[in-house]
Amino acid sequence: MYAYDKFDHAMVDTRVAEFRDQVERRVKGELTEEEFRPIRLMNGLYLQLHAYMLRVAVPYGTMSGDQMRRLAHIARKYDKGYGHFTTRQNIQFNWPKLSETPDILEELAEVEMHAIQTSGNCIRNVTSDQFAGATADEIADPRPYAELLRQWSSFHPEFSFLPRKFKFAITGADTDRAAVKWHDIGLIVRKNEAGELGFEVLAGGGMGRTPVIAKTIREFLPESDLLSYMEAMLRVYNEQGRRDNKYKARIKILIEAMGADEFARQTEAEWERIKDAHIDVPKEEVARIKAFFAPPPLEVLPKYVPAVEELSKKNFVFAAWVKNNTNAHKVPGYVNVTISLKPHGGIPGDATAEQMDLVAALADEYSQAEIRVSHEQNLILPHVALRDLPAIWADLDDAGLGTANVGLLTDMIVCPGLDYCALANARSIPIAQAITKRFGDMRRLQDIGPLKVKMSGCINSCGHHHAGHIGILGVDRKGQELYQILLGGSGAEDASKAGILGPGFDEHGIVDALEKVVAVYLGERKEGEEFLATYRRIGAEIFKEAIYDAA
Amino acid sequence: MAIKITGPQMILGNFLDDGRAVFFTRDENWSADTSLAAYGEGDALETLVTTANKSVENNLIVDIEVIGAHVDGGVAYPAHIKHAIQAQGPSVRPDLGYQASSDWEAA
Repeated sequence: MYAYDKFDHAMVDTRVAEFRDQVERRVKGELTEEEFRPIRLMNGLYLQLHAYMLRVAVPYGTMSGDQMRRLAHIARKYDKGYGHFTTRQNIQFNWPKLSETPDILEELAEVEMHAIQTSGNCIRNVTSDQFAGATADEIADPRPYAELLRQWSSFHPEFSFLPRKFKFAITGADTDRAAVKWHDIGLIVRKNEAGELGFEVLAGGGMGRTPVIAKTIREFLPESDLLSYMEAMLRVYNEQGRRDNKYKARIKILIEAMGADEFARQTEAEWERIKDAHIDVPKEEVARIKAFFAPPPLEVLPKYVPAVEELSKKNFVFAAWVKNNTNAHKVPGYVNVTISLKPHGGIPGDATAEQMDLVAALADEYSQAEIRVSHEQNLILPHVALRDLPAIWADLDDAGLGTANVGLLTDMIVCPGLDYCALANARSIPIAQAITKRFGDMRRLQDIGPLKVKMSGCINSCGHHHAGHIGILGVDRKGQELYQILLGGSGAEDASKAGILGPGFDEHGIVDALEKVVAVYLGERKEGEEFLATYRRIGAEIFKEAIYDAA
Repeated sequence: MAIKITGPQMILGNFLDDGRAVFFTRDENWSADTSLAAYGEGDALETLVTTANKSVENNLIVDIEVIGAHVDGGVAYPAHIKHAIQAQGPSVRPDLGYQASSDWEAA
């Protein structure tokens, strides 16, 4: 993991002191809310329905056991004993007091964490593959590049007041687990014919009220040119992105308007001007950062572990957990364990302080003290020896963290919705609870197979409904919460935009409608065919007929 | 386009210190208890807004929002579910927010 140097510490500590002073001035009335609001947002502090909400960055979803323990401590001391992991691999605390937020930020700074740029019209937390550096299907670990981007974009004077918020995602694998094509800028690590590392550069993706899949701006960008090329792209956007209408201010609107080819042409022209201006860091600095992400020294272990096999035969749930919640590591005898934060009937993405402490302890004992957060709102223990799975599962299961549903229907991405969010139009969490209860039978879930259901409580799409195999969108119709179904989206390498099937349902009807969609799939699928493939083969009409004609 | 609210209205705000959602009360104070909330329309509402805004000027309240109310037995309740949730607490966590307080039990 990256460790702060003296400059990182100084920057974060200075910002904490500055924010402490700003909060004091706000409380004394020396700053109005109008003056204070952009300041608190740049420090991750929102005012939501019930209270303030503090969003803390987990850079590219990587943190240590000690950092997780500190988050647990903050949940306990300053909040209500829990936190909420988000689709940007961050954590949100829902009940901090304004006057205590500088203390929280100071405690975070002690473990090299912060909330800087988790809001505002700036470059937000760079997200990445949750299995980065630990997966068998990777070209290169994307985290050093994500860290470079973090350092380049933190307090970047030119890009602190962009037309709108700006989101990067980067993956080092062909299998896209970071939804890179749904980002303002998406980067995919590639190798050219000479075997040199670089990136496919995509831009103009995004969800919200205008969902757009990013387009390739450059097929191959050499690794050494990353920052100068990003600088050129951001300059074109910063100069020409609309500032007159916040709904048309994202880069996707600019690229749609001018065309991807023209955006690429302007970027290349700007890059020609600035690429020798020493924006890119020296090779030695890249090597220094890469060293922080060196693979842990893992002894190759047997792939067959009798104890795991025996418990799998005796315990169906454990067997399902091993099948669904672990994936291949690059070193034989190891896996990455995904801890589901989607207990059936529970609140997706929430973890109690006690659960966070347990995950930290498990990380210290079994996963090189490393933890990851996925954009699908789960936690990951990377680098776990197969032989340790029975012990880990037993501890997780005791703590309500043993749900074996990763990648299945009940592993839903769900935004906080109207239960917490000031922007939401409808509640998301109770619908997710009803769905996960209805589909909670593990044998049935396994039979349905891989299926990504994603739900948002408003058009802002924090729950990624456009990218769901099945998406659910909550809307407000004359004061009533209604829920629309969308089908056919994907956030993976085969990214696609889900289409709305028709009018919305009430909170009971949406669960029944989902049941009918699943029934159509089960009736129509070919042997081994997953939901999305079936949908793409047979189209929307048959689903539409099933949920509306029979109604 | 802003939707004009008609009929009785009440005033919702958030405390500056902890962000808690509270209503402007008949005795010109702030409380999460809707039974104490002031409501009105027309000129009476204008007067309420003017008085409530003093709490913004005095840094007690972040900002105010005038919301639709329905009145039952002389008590105003938020007309929209959003504001009802805001007043009570998350519907999925009855252990949190005003709904979890002893005042709520007494009300």
